[in-house]
Amino acid sequence: MRQTETQTQAIIDVRDLVKVYPGRGPGTQEPVRAVDGVTFSVAGGEFFGFLGPNGAGKSTSIKIITTLLAKTSGVVTLCGRDIEREAEAVRRLIGYAGQSIGVDGELTGRENLTLVGHLYHLPAALVKERVAELLAVLQLEEAADRPAYTYSGGMRRRLDLGSGLIHRPRVLFLDEPTTGLDPQTRNAVWEYLRKLHSEEAMTIFLTTQYMEEADQLCQRLAIIDRGKIVAEGSPTALKAEIGADVVTIRIARDEAFETNRSRALTIAQKVPNVRRAQSFEEGVSVHAVNGGETLLQIVRVLDAEKINIQQLALSHPTLDEVFLQHTGRQMRVEEEKPASRGGPWRRGMRRN
Amino acid sequence: MATEVTAVYDIRRRYEEARSGGMRSEVAWVAWRSLKKLTRNPFLIFFSLFMPLVWLLMFSQTFGTMFSRGAMTRGVPLPYDFVAVMLPGVAIMTAIQSASQSGFGMVADIDSGFMDKFFVAPIRRTSVLLGKMLADGTRMAVQSSIVLFIAWVMTFVAGWRIPFATGFFGAVLIVLLATGFGIAFSGLSNMVALRSKSTETTMMVSFTLTFPLQFLSTALIPRDLLPPWVQIFSSLNPVSYLADAARSLIVTGYDWPVIGKACLAIVVFGVVLQGLALQAFNAQGK
Repeated sequence: MRQTETQTQAIIDVRDLVKVYPGRGPGTQEPVRAVDGVTFSVAGGEFFGFLGPNGAGKSTSIKIITTLLAKTSGVVTLCGRDIEREAEAVRRLIGYAGQSIGVDGELTGRENLTLVGHLYHLPAALVKERVAELLAVLQLEEAADRPAYTYSGGMRRRLDLGSGLIHRPRVLFLDEPTTGLDPQTRNAVWEYLRKLHSEEAMTIFLTTQYMEEADQLCQRLAIIDRGKIVAEGSPTALKAEIGADVVTIRIARDEAFETNRSRALTIAQKVPNVRRAQSFEEGVSVHAVNGGETLLQIVRVLDAEKINIQQLALSHPTLDEVFLQHTGRQMRVEEEKPASRGGPWRRGMRRN
Repeated sequence: MATEVTAVYDIRRRYEEARSGGMRSEVAWVAWRSLKKLTRNPFLIFFSLFMPLVWLLMFSQTFGTMFSRGAMTRGVPLPYDFVAVMLPGVAIMTAIQSASQSGFGMVADIDSGFMDKFFVAPIRRTSVLLGKMLADGTRMAVQSSIVLFIAWVMTFVAGWRIPFATGFFGAVLIVLLATGFGIAFSGLSNMVALRSKSTETTMMVSFTLTFPLQFLSTALIPRDLLPPWVQIFSSLNPVSYLADAARSLIVTGYDWPVIGKACLAIVVFGVVLQGLALQAFNAQGK
């Protein structure tokens, strides 16, 4: 009974969520609509994701749903409970691992988990049992009694994940769980998340800026940009919407770039088999039923028209194309490098 | 498969329905964490004890000569050393110093994301503040006890003349007064930390306010030796009431009206500053 109930009901239900940050300080007087009318729901047992660039409103949304941040308007319920009126009940049902790893470096791994276990009012014996179990599962047993500042990035991430799982939550919220991790560690985290989802019947909601992560893990995802959901569906369905191969033409960056790009767009639109052509920052993206043949045709025409091409690519549609199709921009991933903060696509909207 | 999933739900329910330990346990665990951190940091322990000892030795040596020559007592020699006059003040200033640093940890926890662990857990926000006060208070009590203990040892070792008029229980009362005031005063540092989220700002505000509070008071020098304008300021300064009470416990004996005033100063100051800190704390994430 309980099982059917939790599996058919929407576990997370978000209606018209809006968050406006008041403008603060010089230069940012304008209020920022970080989340601008987001509506979606997640069913019990689902692996759901928010995919979007930095500043899209992912972190803000997840912080509101996990009761860490107050919303401006909208209705959010978790397992049928209002996140504001029944905040305490909601907190017992959810686990959260944030973007900045909330691990106390001066405490050992075991102490970190023990502390959090007691914050969830678990009896001491149960805390002990659960901490030992998590340390084993997360492969932190050997390092368990060392201060966490001695841990590697991957170990800290796992420990943080552990503290979000200590109370066996029904829903796990992960805010960019693999940002800053090396590919190998990233794969290990993915593996563990898949296991959690399948073996513990856990509902997982993650945000990510990595196409591959969303594609690999999420059963269903929402693409979010500038505070709005622009597309929603399973990765396969989203990619199938494009229904064609993708030809990406990058135009050479010379003084004629702008004209060449618009000329290339007009040309591409006239080629038979082309379903859709669209320009983006670096050139033109073309969806065509028979990609290989179309590629040749386009090249011939562009060559005849003396348009300098920098690079040509033929691919099956990825979430990149889905994002491009819905936003007219390519989604770029920004690695965690403090020096590069504040690129043009960030639009100064990110709040932690 | 179906039974396995049901088993998962059963286990989960055990965790969801656990309500072990109320608010007291929440406060205790928050305090446990802060104190654990403190014990992991030997430099912090050393220097938080070092500063009051430096004051005790430095002030007693420099001002002590003036005092013993009668310069500060208008020619009337007293049966005790200057260190007896300033010892209670140093015990209180020790607690104030600790209190002024209280907000740093708050900023660090917000920056690191650790604070979110507290906010996402089903505990009361007040528990987090109370736990922090408990940990800070423990630290202050230990520090001021050590100051008093070393002064007591010095009466034997270096021949310091300190009357300790109320003995051991008076010393305990001084520690309690110092700790109580330290906890009250830590509200300021925490409030600034929570509003500014910056260690630099917290440090600046704390230091700029801490020094006049300490030196424009009767903490180190009795009231009638202060210049008139400082006397006026010091009578508005809660630190003076604390210092007067603590000094009476060392020099003369239990002076309950003076001790009562000190307690009142703690309560008034504490309610205002901690109220502001709580307000700032509750505004997090709003």
